[in-house]
Amino acid sequence: MRTRKTFWIGALLLAGLVAAAPLSAQITIGGTTYTKFLWGNQRDEGALYNFTTVPGEGYGDNGQGTEIELLVDGKLSKKLGIHARIHSRFNQNYWTNYGGFGGVNPAFQNDGQQTPCIGGICGEYDPRSNQYVKLRGVALTLTPGYKWMDTAVIGQQDWGNFDPFVVGRIRYIDRDNQGGILVQGSAMDRQLTWDAARISLARIYQGPGFTTGTFVAQDAAYTAQMKYIVNPQLDFGGIFNWIHDVEIDPADKNFDNGLNLLTRYRNNVYGGKVGIHPATTVDVRLQGLYSSNDTNPEFAPTNFCLTGCGYSPVIGGHHTGWAGKADVDLNDPFGIGLSFNLEGFRIGANYASLLAARRESDVLLTEGHDAAFAFPGPSNASYGVFGGNRTRIGYGGWDGPMQQVATINVDNDFTDFDEPLAETVIGWEGVTLVPTYSKGSLEISGEFSYITYDSNWQAFNDASRSIMTTDYPTAELDTGVNHGYRSAFAPFQDKKTYIGVAKAKYTLNIGKGLEIFGKIKGIHETDNRMNDARFLPYQAGDCPGGGAACKGNKNFYSTGNTTSDLYGNPPVITVTNPATGQTQTGYQWKPFDSLSDDDRLLNYWMANFGVGYQLFNDLYGSLTYNYYHANLVDGDTAMQGYNLHEMASGQHRKNQLVARFKYNIAGISECGLEYQYNWGTYHPDFGGGYVVQYASADVNKNLGFPVGSPGFTGRFGGWNSLLDRNFDQQRMKAYIKVAF
Amino acid sequence: MIRTGFRIALLAAIAMVIAAAAASAQTVVFKDPIGDDKGPGKYIYPTDPVYKPGSFDLTELKFTKKGDKADVAVSVNSNLEDPWGMKVGFSVQMVFVFIQTDDKEGRTTKGIPGLNIQFGPDDGWNRCIILSPQPSARVRGEVEIKAPDLQKMIVVPNQVRGSGRTISATVDMKDIGTGDITKWGYQVVMQSNEGFPDKHDLLTRKVNEYEGQHRFGGGNDGDCDPHVMDILAGHGTGDKSEIQEQYQMLVYECNPDGTSKKMATLKMVRK
Repeated sequence: MRTRKTFWIGALLLAGLVAAAPLSAQITIGGTTYTKFLWGNQRDEGALYNFTTVPGEGYGDNGQGTEIELLVDGKLSKKLGIHARIHSRFNQNYWTNYGGFGGVNPAFQNDGQQTPCIGGICGEYDPRSNQYVKLRGVALTLTPGYKWMDTAVIGQQDWGNFDPFVVGRIRYIDRDNQGGILVQGSAMDRQLTWDAARISLARIYQGPGFTTGTFVAQDAAYTAQMKYIVNPQLDFGGIFNWIHDVEIDPADKNFDNGLNLLTRYRNNVYGGKVGIHPATTVDVRLQGLYSSNDTNPEFAPTNFCLTGCGYSPVIGGHHTGWAGKADVDLNDPFGIGLSFNLEGFRIGANYASLLAARRESDVLLTEGHDAAFAFPGPSNASYGVFGGNRTRIGYGGWDGPMQQVATINVDNDFTDFDEPLAETVIGWEGVTLVPTYSKGSLEISGEFSYITYDSNWQAFNDASRSIMTTDYPTAELDTGVNHGYRSAFAPFQDKKTYIGVAKAKYTLNIGKGLEIFGKIKGIHETDNRMNDARFLPYQAGDCPGGGAACKGNKNFYSTGNTTSDLYGNPPVITVTNPATGQTQTGYQWKPFDSLSDDDRLLNYWMANFGVGYQLFNDLYGSLTYNYYHANLVDGDTAMQGYNLHEMASGQHRKNQLVARFKYNIAGISECGLEYQYNWGTYHPDFGGGYVVQYASADVNKNLGFPVGSPGFTGRFGGWNSLLDRNFDQQRMKAYIKVAF
Repeated sequence: MIRTGFRIALLAAIAMVIAAAAASAQTVVFKDPIGDDKGPGKYIYPTDPVYKPGSFDLTELKFTKKGDKADVAVSVNSNLEDPWGMKVGFSVQMVFVFIQTDDKEGRTTKGIPGLNIQFGPDDGWNRCIILSPQPSARVRGEVEIKAPDLQKMIVVPNQVRGSGRTISATVDMKDIGTGDITKWGYQVVMQSNEGFPDKHDLLTRKVNEYEGQHRFGGGNDGDCDPHVMDILAGHGTGDKSEIQEQYQMLVYECNPDGTSKKMATLKMVRK
């Protein structure tokens, strides 16, 4: 009710503004409506987005809803403009909410538990399900005509005019939530341009531990960049960003002279880039960035625990790092339609820029990993060994390859399966070569990438500390077919990745032109992880086998520090096979007694083939078949997915049949439909050295595996099933956007 | 013997097909100098990094007639990228290829809505091929609403491709016209794909006085300035002198209220 009242007040103010504007002022109101249909046989209905990791937020693959945004632009004089966006969001605003009436009021629940408001159940009592409208992107634009300054923008905008390595995009739906002041100027007939900004930090996530602390009002980033186009053959630029998150000094008790401030977090980034364009056939671009990262242990986390609580947008402690890349493009040097792009890159493990692009940017040439496998388990579930954590996005994952972003603050929340997914490239270093041949309607291209990692280290590169607390947030850790999209760090890593791609596209001269396209991609990845025996958790021969208990003689890699904190010994158990009645005594999981226990070997390939056709003047359709095959060894039961995630060792075969349609009639901005049928199998292979257990009624209740089916219980009580899994999932998204 | 005869016949047939194709193919190529992607001379790119230097710097138009089809290819001075996921190999560019065919009836000197240009009295156009990364149905829909009087003169290819530095498409010659393509006049207008354009603009990006994140700068906040970053000029040879000729063509004057006093007037370029 209050929201509706706010809306009408806003509308009246708007009308007043229009009425009060000078006659010469131009006020325009436009907008967009966006209607979405989701359908899927996961039967989730928490919100009108397929995916989120945000606690307390819903996700789902079913439902229909509509959102609207109103764009208000005013040119009040030659020197002053205003812009505002008033936007409702899908969130839980299903059509079935009937406009958000009624619902469960969480304030009056007497069940002793906090009722989560998801799926629209709170109706009118929660803004996310009562068709709330938010004010966004309010900004004034001043163009006073001064020589030293071209434009000043005061208010909220998306800050995408800076560099994605330093200050970049945030999520699309919140793209202009970030407020600040931007001043832009130019000189030398605009060959030289500069931007300077003060950007207020978002209290809910733009600081260590996804918070800016308790005193938030003065937390800001100060950013400046310049570009100088010397001539069409040469340009260069520089960028600087200083982030200062402050807190009130708790020791300052003298209120008479104001209160002192202390730094909670500081992040400096300096960068430069050069573009050299000697001819239309040659293009060279160089970029280098240096960062420093400091957290104050008095106010901010300086280290993160390893198992399940390593979430932060930046690393902890004091670290300096650098990132850089060099691109050389040879555009058809032989005049036969053959071009080459070569990129060398390094994004250091310690490179940190809190405001770097979180998504919707792609900082590297490589197409990276495929988004069909983006989370740890065989079905893209994280923490899937524990009940209540089945996959959110679904077995099919997201479409296509991932985009690469230079931050661990990756955000793929509130996305649908047809949207691009971003993955972190913190720690990546290597080279990519992309040849492209194009002639007429034929295009053939490829990729070869070799990637090694600056985060290849033992015990987080500091053997004097316990691996259980670290400066490096590990998020979901690095397990699964591909790597977790926001997992940059692991305690032990010795990894190399090779990516090869070949793809082709051709339009056959049939009817209106039949497009055919296909692709083959392979990834070979090895990661020895722990590669030094001094880090083994227990002394040699600690677990003698034969039903004898482990002795528990820990191995310390430095004083007081042992990996047995992570890779604890198994108990001896006796298990009776419910089908045969045979009993077996042995270890509950394999003792971690070999450097090969955590080794990773991935042989992955995918292929696709498709056709597309303009079926009618208004309707384009395409049909694509994707096949993914992964042979994966990702540690054995001694490692057990860092005790947290479903093991993914074994053989994966995934199939996708994808039908896409684009429809348009005059007036529609975008209208499309994508249907997917995803099916496949996972054959687990966890190695030996442990006693197979059989699923209990609790396992059946919590995870769905049949009572009596084989598996094993891990260190934290999670269940890894040894059953072959057969996946059979469908989903659909249809949408229509109309700008007015 | 029969097999040898078959091989000879096959080779002869292939040779004839190739020869026929070569004989029937006609190509017109125009070059444009680099560094002139400044409209009338002062325009500047938007500030968002997706607008890479050279993205709107036209370097070549190649129009090739092959039988009843024609390939149109426009090259720019920057590798094409697809930051907005248009899935056709490019995102930020949009190209208008104006053609003056032999058909003297039905020519117009009007520009396309959003470009704020016109053509000279002797330089009217019969056909305009739009190379947009938007789905063809979207472009047709926009034409239907915003340029209904020009609808029959605008050709929207079903598929547009971006690869390397070249945006290309294939069109039916019956939609363009008949005659010797080397005798026709051509003009290319480099613009930017705007998915959420102004009410009267045909998917074009605006030019303002000062550049913004997604607005070109160096022009006027009204609609009196040509919303054009680069065009062909002179004889389309790519000679540096064509830069000034472009700037001359795109000269404009505005009234104080932002309406046009003198509209930028384009000429056709011919072989």
